[in-house]
This record gives sequence, structure tokens and C-alpha cells, in this order.
Amino acid sequence: MSGEMANEIKLISGRSHPELSDKIAKRLGVEVARTISLNYSNQETSFTVGESVRDEDVFIIQSTATGDVNEGLMELLIMISACRTASARRITAVIPNFPYARQDKKDKSRAPISARLVANMLQTAGANHIVTVDLHASQVSMGSTIQGFFSVPVDNLYAEPSFLRYIRENFKTEDCVIVSPDAGGAKRATSIADHLNTAFALIHKERPRPNVVGRMVLVGNVEDKIAILVDDMADTCGTLVKAAAVLKENGAKSVLALVTHGILSGNAIETLNGSVLSALVVTNTVPLGDKVERCPKLRVIDISPTIAEAIRRTHNGESVSYLFTHAPV
Amino acid sequence: MRGTLIFSGSSCPTLTGKICENLGMATAEAELTQFSNGETSVRILTSVREKDVFVVQSGSPKINDTIMELLIMISACKGGSANKITAVLPYFPYSRQSKKKSHRGAITARMLANLLGVAGVKHVITVDLHASQMQGFFRCPVDNLHAEPLIARWIRHNVPNWKEAVVVSKNAGGTKRVTSLADALKLNFGMVTTDKKRGPNMTASMIMNHLDGIEDQPLPDSLVDQVCTNGTGLENGTSNGENGQRRASHSMVDAQGSPRRANGPSVRTSGNAWSRQTRGHATPSQSSAIDEQDEDAETDGLEYNDQRAQEVTHGRLFQGHIVPDDFPSPATSAADASITEEDPMTMSHTSSHFAPQPHALGGSGDAGASSDEEDEILKDPKVEHMITLVGDVKNRTVFIVDDMIDKPGSWIAAAETVVKRGHAKKVYCIATHAVFGADCLEQMQACDCIDAIVVTNSYPISEAKARNASKLVVVDLSFLLAEAIRRNHYGESMSPLFLHNGD
Repeated sequence: MSGEMANEIKLISGRSHPELSDKIAKRLGVEVARTISLNYSNQETSFTVGESVRDEDVFIIQSTATGDVNEGLMELLIMISACRTASARRITAVIPNFPYARQDKKDKSRAPISARLVANMLQTAGANHIVTVDLHASQVSMGSTIQGFFSVPVDNLYAEPSFLRYIRENFKTEDCVIVSPDAGGAKRATSIADHLNTAFALIHKERPRPNVVGRMVLVGNVEDKIAILVDDMADTCGTLVKAAAVLKENGAKSVLALVTHGILSGNAIETLNGSVLSALVVTNTVPLGDKVERCPKLRVIDISPTIAEAIRRTHNGESVSYLFTHAPV
Repeated sequence: MRGTLIFSGSSCPTLTGKICENLGMATAEAELTQFSNGETSVRILTSVREKDVFVVQSGSPKINDTIMELLIMISACKGGSANKITAVLPYFPYSRQSKKKSHRGAITARMLANLLGVAGVKHVITVDLHASQMQGFFRCPVDNLHAEPLIARWIRHNVPNWKEAVVVSKNAGGTKRVTSLADALKLNFGMVTTDKKRGPNMTASMIMNHLDGIEDQPLPDSLVDQVCTNGTGLENGTSNGENGQRRASHSMVDAQGSPRRANGPSVRTSGNAWSRQTRGHATPSQSSAIDEQDEDAETDGLEYNDQRAQEVTHGRLFQGHIVPDDFPSPATSAADASITEEDPMTMSHTSSHFAPQPHALGGSGDAGASSDEEDEILKDPKVEHMITLVGDVKNRTVFIVDDMIDKPGSWIAAAETVVKRGHAKKVYCIATHAVFGADCLEQMQACDCIDAIVVTNSYPISEAKARNASKLVVVDLSFLLAEAIRRNHYGESMSPLFLHNGD
């Protein structure tokens, strides 16, 4: 009960991505707190913290497993609420892959802005702070609107420094051309291209409905280059695979993709295996399960050092902005 | 109804269809799908601008998806400039998590209430909340409708000799629900309680501590006076059994405020020295039983061995089923068991019904809330339970009543007790919410002691399940909900919906 012991980092892991939580915990040199999560026979989620969190700095790590988004989200809300009721000093929700991020605008009549709903729900449950990675933005140049949905601080970390390092370590940068698979992601691609001092190209696409890909046009030159597609998420991979084909047709030597969130739902693995992509590089923000075994083209960059460092800096009240440009080793 | 739209969540299109039929309108169009990554997608296909919107959503096996869908639908309607949005939740999800059951557990029902508010709900209509105090979690008005008048009506129309029946609660926490139905039908009521078989090393002081703790616990109102009475009786009873018996009856008279006779309990069970140990147990229950059976009590006069005395019946419960009294005890040797049974202190189990988890913060007087854990323990092969039936059910029809059927264990145990120990003629299991987790319905269907399972359609029951359950009777709630929606829309009073109208 000594004063020095109070207010330490308490790491709480949801059931969606325990591997990531373990890596973060190891990195921080702390143990993941003991908790009990279970589902009743009618599938209602029940959660209990197994140790005191009174006056502690609580970080709850919950990603969203593909197909179980709502399950993970409800569990996260219940975890936050339980810690709030148990008198935690501050509760930070660490959500590497923010759910419903793509539903962030009223693009049709009466379309729900579900991302704002999720933001409100997290705050209602009792979250004081949000840490996330590459928050989806319909127009990267305009930043993510989701940050504005919160009235609590949101630290949006970037996978970009990790990607830069990956490219530098694996390729000669002058052989590469960075390609954005859509106009919205142009800023993300140009940022990487600028850092590497490489060329840049863009694919314009028409998308009639969600999860369906239309016609594609390449803007820029990729001939005899290694074309590197960059995007924030790979869901069904339809866009990526089609873009890769377009790049190949335009004379690219090889095509690989760097994507932050490997959601890989539906037939993504089969689509990838049958594609001209030489590799899909994702971070481990989303639990991948057995997908790495099923897809030899899938490579994983560990994002846990960045998240762990953000947690440490948040807890100590240090600046997080260093992480926007540097990946911790 | 002009200016009204009723949307259906994906959990209960049938119920919503019936509600709309009652109101003479069509369900409003909405497209409810999931993206391939599992995120819920909602498209409201009709204008909601300045409309009075009702969104009907019940539970489903994917309860969290159901909740998110409801929240997103509400949010979409709010974003579409609806005038007022009412959530119609025949089954309120997470209603069992309405208090901190353990240290650092979540009060999820309260959080859900807040989430509904955040999404944009201005009014909530629900049926038979697990704990009616939950209405206080909401900032908006809540109409907690009762299915009881409909169930009472079904009983009056469909149960032969229902006037001879007894309503039985399967745990102490649900007694209030049971007395309410018993009052409505003017029937007698009883109670079944389960608790762990006590070890032989329990001392008097332990019991007294236990009891002291009990008196500090919050108790359902209807039980408070009875338990206090019991406590008084016990304090006297610990030193001298005979004396204690008389004192117990005196104190009961005091507490009840009118002279009533406490009958010496001669209990029909295993034939051991039961009379001493069950005395404390019998007293509190009897006092309530006497309330109900005033008339009987008077005609019986002051005889010692009347019907009242036989109202407390014990049974042994092993792995969720009643076993004969000579069944070998799994935990203790025969010698230990006999010591236990002759220990006059064993009356402590009365109190443990009311406080199944007697620890400082997490314990609660509401046994109903712990029914989930209760069911878990019932299946433990190492633990034998004592199941106690209070009330006379011999050759009578029994209605076992609770608010929801999720797990079968406690229902089957209670049904077996009233049939095999209480010699009841027929058993109806009655509940509002037919949650039927796992293979609950199949197990209840297979139980010989259960003759009918009466539920409402507040929670959707899959057709495949219902087809194989010949004992299942589903009472339709759609008229009640439709009427609540209509009255809400026109600003009329809801009170008539709570009344029993004796037809």
C-alpha cells in the first residue's frame, strides 16, 4: 500500500488478440492482469477483473477479430465499464484496429455514422483515452474524422515508420515505386515515397458497392520497378489483387502490398494465393489466426513495440509524437 | 397509425410482424446485413424525418451482434431526423448483470442503458425486467410491462382444476414474482430452495456469525420480517431445542402482529431426527404459508399434528437430480452424514438460502440473480445438495414460476422435488423469457416430472427447437406490445395493461 506502488500500468487484455497483449506486456516488463471473461449460455459476455485496479493507470488492449467485431466491441465496453466501477484512475482503450472505422460519414440518406456511435459508446462506458493505429480516413489528406468524434484524447499511431524500415531493409529504394490503390490514399503513399525518395503512382478506381471492385486506371509509371502498394486495410483483398494485376499489365517487375490492418475476411486468403502479388505485408494489429500458414505470401510486421512505447509514454506523461516518425527497435 | 414507423431488428421479425398486424400497419423497411469482416450494416430504406419511430429487438444466440444492430439502427434513425425513437425490447439483454456480483465485476445492464441513451433512445418499452429496479439506470422513461396478466389468463383458460393448483418458486429470490401470480389467481404458494449439504464441523458460533451477516443483507421486502423472526427464534434455539421451539413461535406471533400458532414440525423425510433441525427452517416459511392459508389454520385449531406441520419436505440432490435417501453420499461417510443430520445447528441452512454468497461486498440477498452460478454448482459431481420444499403440493397441480428459462438444472431439480418428494400431480414450468440456452429445452422436454413449459414469445424460439418440444406452450405477447406502442404514440395511460381483468 506504499505510495510508490500506486498508479502503475495495469495491462488488461481482451480475448480477441492475447498474443499482441503478451508481446506488449513483455515489452513493458509487466504482467497482463488476471481477468475472467466468459460467455453465459445465452452468449451474454461476463467480465471480472481478478485484481485490484483502484487508482491504477489501466490500459485495455482489445483488437477486433474478423467476424467477431461486435463480440469484441461489447467485451471491450464491458471491460471498460468494469474498471470504471472498480475505481481505476484512468482507463485507456488500446484499440489497434478501430471497429466501424469505415462507417464514418453519412454518405447516403439515413446511413448510420456507426464510427461516431462507437466513439460515444466508448466514452459512455468510461474510457478516458484512446490509443489506436492508422485510424481509417476516407480522405487521408483531411485526417481522420473519427478523432473528432471523441471528446477524450485519441492517439493515432502510424505503422508508416515500421513500413519504411521494412522497405529499406528488404529492397533497394531506387528500384521501388510506391503506389496508392485509390485516390483517397494518395497522401499516405506520397508520404512514404517522399521519405524514401522514390517515385509514386496512383490507381484510380470506381467502386459501385462496398466489397465490390470496379474498373481501374493507372496514373504514373511502374515499368521494370518493384511496385509497392500501400493501404490502411486489406479486407477481402479484391482491390489489392486487381490493382496488382493492373500494375503487372503496366510492366511492373513485381508487386507487393504493405497494409496496416490485415482483416482478410471472406475469401481473402484464396484471392491472395491466386494473385500476382508476390507478398502481402501486414502488421499484427488484427489477430491473424492460421492465415499465415494458409497464405505463404503473407508476412507480418510486429507493431507491438510501437504500441508498448505509446503506452509507456502515455503513462509517464511524455510526448508520443516521436513515434509518428520513428519505429522503436 | 399516422406518423409512426415500426422497425424490426433481425432477431424478431415474426413478433414485430404480429405487432404491426395488431396495429394495422406494415413493418418499416430496413436492410440489415453484415460486412464481410463482421461489422453490422444498417440501411433505413424509408424516410424517418419527424416520425415517431419504434425499433423492436429481442435477444438472439448472437446477443452482442443483436445489441450493436439495435444501437446502429437507433443511431441511423436519429441521424435521419426522427422525431422520437423508442426501443421496444421484449427481452432486455444483460438484465441479469444488473449489479456487481463479484468484486470488480461490471454492471453491464446499466452500461447498456447508457449506450441506448447515447445512441438516441428517448423511451424504452420492455417486458418483465429481471430486476425492476433497473428502470433507474435509464435517464429516459421506461415502461416495464408485465406478462403476468396474460399468463394468468392462459392458466385460467387452459389448466384443468387450476383453482386447486399451487404456485411454487424455485429459489428464494423469485418469491416475489410467485406471490404476485398466486395473489392474482388466489392460489396457495410454496417455495423450493437448494443449498449445499453442510459439513459436520459447523459450529454454533459459525452459524450465529452467519446469521448476523444475514440481517445486514438487503433482502426482498416480503422476506424481511420473516427472516428477522427466524433469527430471533434461532438465538433462543441454539442452547435448548425444546425451549427454542416455543420461543420461536412466540417471536413469530410478535412479528406478525396477530396471534398465530407455529406448529411443531414433524417432517416426513428420511426418518432421522429431523424434527429438531428443521424447526428453525419451518418457522419463517410457515409464517408466510399461514398468511396464505389463514382460513385453514383457523379450522385446524390448536392440534399439534396438522397439515401445516408437513409442509417442509427435504430431498437430496445429486448432480442435479433427486436421489433416494439411502443413496450413498459422495463427499462424506455415512457416519459423518448422520452426525450432520442430528446436529441441531443445521437450521443455518435457512439463512444460507437468502445469502448464497456470504462475502462482504459481493454477496447479495437476491438468490434469483445467482441462478446461473446455482446451475453450475448443481452439476458438480462432488457436491451433494439439500433441496427443501416448503408448502403442501400433494395431489395438486404445481406451477413453477420464474422470469426466464435459460439453464434447465434448477427447473428439473424443482420439478423432481415437487413430484417425487411433494407428490404433486402435474408440473407446469412457467416463465416470461424463453432464453433456452444450449440444450435446455431438450432436457426439460425429456424430464418426466415436467408436464408443460409455458413461456411467451418475448425471446425468439427457433422453429426447429419448438417443433420437437411437445410440452412447449407459447403465449403471444404481441397484443400487449402493440397496445403499449399505440398508447405511447397517442399519449394514453399504460396502467390498464398491468391489470388482471379476470376473463
